[in-house]
Amino acid sequence: MDTLQFIDINATTALILFLVGFVGGMVSGFIGSGGAFVLTPAMMSLGVPGVIAVASNMAHKFPKSLVGAIKRNRYGQVDIKLGLVMGVFAEAGVFFGKGLMVDIRDALGGAGTNLYVSAVFVVVLGIVGGFVLRDAIREKRGEATQGEPKQLNKVARWVRTLNIPGTMIHFKSINARISFIVIAPLGFATGMLASTIAVGGFIGVPAMIYILGLPALMASATELVIAFVMGMGGSLFYALDGFVDIRLAMIILAGSLFGIQIGAIGTTYVKDHVVKFVMATIMLLVLVSRFFYIPGYLGELGFTAELAPDTRSVLDGIGQGILAFALLFGAVMILKALMQGIREHRLATEAAAAAAPATPAVAPAAAEAGQLSPLGRFERFLVASDGSEFSAAAVREALGMAAKCGAEVHVMSLLATGAEHEALGESILKQELEMVQSNLDRIRTEAEAAGIKCQTHAIHGRAVDEEIVALADQVQADLIIMGRRGRRGLARLMLGHATAQVIGSAHCSVLVVPRAAHIEGRHLVLATDGSRYADAAAVTAARLAQFCDARVSVVSVTTPSHGPERRTEAQQAVDRVVEHMRNEGTEVEGLVQEGVPSEVITGLARERNADLIVTGSHGRSGLERVLIGSVSERILNETPCAVLVVKTG
Amino acid sequence: MTRFSLTGGSARALAVTLLLGAVSAGLYFLLFLYSDRLVELAAATRQGEKLYALIPIVIALVFSFVHGAFTGRFWELLGLRAKK
Repeated sequence: MDTLQFIDINATTALILFLVGFVGGMVSGFIGSGGAFVLTPAMMSLGVPGVIAVASNMAHKFPKSLVGAIKRNRYGQVDIKLGLVMGVFAEAGVFFGKGLMVDIRDALGGAGTNLYVSAVFVVVLGIVGGFVLRDAIREKRGEATQGEPKQLNKVARWVRTLNIPGTMIHFKSINARISFIVIAPLGFATGMLASTIAVGGFIGVPAMIYILGLPALMASATELVIAFVMGMGGSLFYALDGFVDIRLAMIILAGSLFGIQIGAIGTTYVKDHVVKFVMATIMLLVLVSRFFYIPGYLGELGFTAELAPDTRSVLDGIGQGILAFALLFGAVMILKALMQGIREHRLATEAAAAAAPATPAVAPAAAEAGQLSPLGRFERFLVASDGSEFSAAAVREALGMAAKCGAEVHVMSLLATGAEHEALGESILKQELEMVQSNLDRIRTEAEAAGIKCQTHAIHGRAVDEEIVALADQVQADLIIMGRRGRRGLARLMLGHATAQVIGSAHCSVLVVPRAAHIEGRHLVLATDGSRYADAAAVTAARLAQFCDARVSVVSVTTPSHGPERRTEAQQAVDRVVEHMRNEGTEVEGLVQEGVPSEVITGLARERNADLIVTGSHGRSGLERVLIGSVSERILNETPCAVLVVKTG
Repeated sequence: MTRFSLTGGSARALAVTLLLGAVSAGLYFLLFLYSDRLVELAAATRQGEKLYALIPIVIALVFSFVHGAFTGRFWELLGLRAKK
């Protein structure tokens, strides 16, 4: 068995690898595709054997796919089920491909895998690069481009008519049943290509769009799940044979994570066809570069006469030179576009500012003004909508309440920023903007038809909770209304809980409306612990009860550890609120119960068939700002009915 | 009316970025420090110590999360932002 051929990494090689990673990352961010088609040959040109280059490349890519998939899933773009199903078959493809690579290596040595990888590169880059170049030329001429098929093509329609009993799987994203017999070869081919050149997306994404009929945005997001599943499996398979040079992979990663952001931002400053020209040019240059190495491998393997050392050295040098030129070309084009774009953008912004009339003074932030009154002053609502089923109930209830209260409604959606989004490329980002805008327009039309004053906001940002709170401050909203995704356990821990974060940071009250909730004003449950926060919630609940003519259950919960003094306090707190509400003419009952607070409160809401739980929020400082108070958070997680968290400025 | 904005930087953002940068630099320092050991571990994996295969996987995940979070914030802090 021959020895491992990990290259020696010193300061110079580390710097070169970092720069290669940086430029590769920039290219991959710019063209919205994995940069492995540049990185694998670049590593091979530095003397890394093909099999180690591929293995190390996979190891640097799969965690990035995981992060990207988690983030894009927050915006409802990922079909996890399809990603996992294709991922499993892709894994089989990776396993087969890796076995093939190892067999070739065992039979023919390093030159064998080098030849195999190079040959696949030449064929795949020839096909994909050719298509991209054709698209770019058509687009520049103004001819129709492929883009996302507005209607299903013939193949996708046929696939959906196939019904093979026992093999059908329903996919929610496309609301269709597809046989896994169709999915299996697509996944297998994706994995097989990934294990050979580490870019399975070249097959996976087009297959999902044109054969399964997924929207492009969803296909590229779902590909991240596949890339993670097969990347993780592939890395493990290769690692089991000791082929992953993790030092190499991590240095490449260091540069690539810096570069990807620059490339991704660069795409927002250039036209779509320019991105495609750059992509096609780099692909075709890499193809030509690889081509020059092939005679050397063939000679080494004895398939042709061995090249004279000088001849081989010249050919390898040409290959390296072309690859270096491809990387340099990509870097220069991207940086040029970025700098030019930023300069033009700055000049345009300055010109607009100079031409604009004096702007009104900035409204005082609600943070400073505080919420003047928590007494149910609900005149301006801010609704967060991502267009998904999870926010539909929040939108519906917001419009219903606004119609009753005569409130003005602001509706916002987030367009996520960050490398994993910007790396999608300009055309896909445009589609996302169109989807967001069309959702906002639909809500505005609906609101205006109901006589509600409505403004929409498409916000670019990284964290949805921060943007919601900032906009609520800006428009001086009295109430933020949002849905609940219902994530629990590990997923919630990893994704953060946007709803809890908003409640923790907002300066106004927050109404959380789960998917199945309907606020009809039948029965309110008010949770009180006698604190000033609970008093503010009580005043708001009293107003709401009067407004809706709803019955109210006021409840305070004690635990077995509480002493008699605490129980007396709880009873006094409940009596005080009940008396206040009775004086206002509300039908109200008061209860002090023992148990786990969140369970007692949600249980009471269920028993009384309540449609709203009203609770206070424990301040906004330190850890509580993040956690909002564990009772409120547990109630939010456990109840199917709407929850109003009243904040006290 | 439609508004576009980006999350603004702040002292807290700077502190988080610097912290992530420091942790990231620390991880790379350790990577270079134990560079030879990592090569030996890969060789040992090939010799049959299959459990060592998990080490590169864990390293890849940790580096990616820490360094990814750092670089994402780094450019934003420098003001390099997408055109809207």
